[in-house]
Amino acid sequence: MTFEELWEHEERQGLQQRLQQDYPAWLRRRRTALATVVSVAVVSVAAGITLSTLHSPLATYDAVACNRSGIAEGHWADVAANILIMNSEI
Amino acid sequence: MRRLLLTMLLPVLLAVGCTREAEHAAVDALYARYASRTALAAAKVCDFSLNDTVRVDVVLLQAESDEEWGRLKAELDIQGDEGTVSYLADPDAPATRVAWTGEPVLRVVASHADRAIGLYRLENEEQYDALLDYQLNKMKNDK
Repeated sequence: MTFEELWEHEERQGLQQRLQQDYPAWLRRRRTALATVVSVAVVSVAAGITLSTLHSPLATYDAVACNRSGIAEGHWADVAANILIMNSEI
Repeated sequence: MRRLLLTMLLPVLLAVGCTREAEHAAVDALYARYASRTALAAAKVCDFSLNDTVRVDVVLLQAESDEEWGRLKAELDIQGDEGTVSYLADPDAPATRVAWTGEPVLRVVASHADRAIGLYRLENEEQYDALLDYQLNKMKNDK
C-alpha cells in the first residue's frame, strides 16, 4: 500500500467515524426543526380560524333576517341603533 | 407537543362556537314567534355591535298599522302613547318584567313614534353594561 493509498484510507475512515458520531445529533436537530415548523403551522391555522370567527370591529352587525323582502338590512341596523335613544324617531 | 397544542386549542374553539350558537338559537326562536304575523315587519339582527368587543342579538318588530301596534303593546303590556319605554324581561316571555340578576334577559325598548320594538338579548353583565353605555354615548353625541 502506497502512502497515498494509506492516506486516502485513513481519511475515509476518519470521515466515516465523524459521520457516525454527528449523524444522530443532526437527525435530532432536523426532527426538532420539523416539529417546530409543524407546531407553528398548526397554531397559525387555529389562530386564523379563531380570528375568522370573530368580527371586524368596524362592522355594526353580522347578519340580518327579515320577514319582508323589500326592506334593506341597513334599515334594521339603523332601527336597532336609533331605538335605543330616548324619544328617537327612526 | 403537537398533540398538546391541539388538545388545548380545540376545547377553546368549540366552547366559543357553542356559546354563540346557543345565543343565536335563542334569538331565532324569538324571531320565529313574530315572523309569521302579517301586519308586523320582524327582523333579527345577529351580533349587533355595541362597541369594539361586545355584540348582542336583537329582534326588531315594526307594526305596519295602528291596530297591530295596539295589539303588540297590549301583548307586552306597554302603556302610554309617547316617548320610549324600556324594561328588562324574561327571555322566554317578553311581557314579563324581571330584575337584573346576571341571568340572560331581554331589554325591551319600545318607541311609540316609530311603532317599533327592539328585543335585545343580554347574556351577561358585559353586554348589559355595554348596552347602557351605548345608549348614554349615543344620547351624548346626539345632544
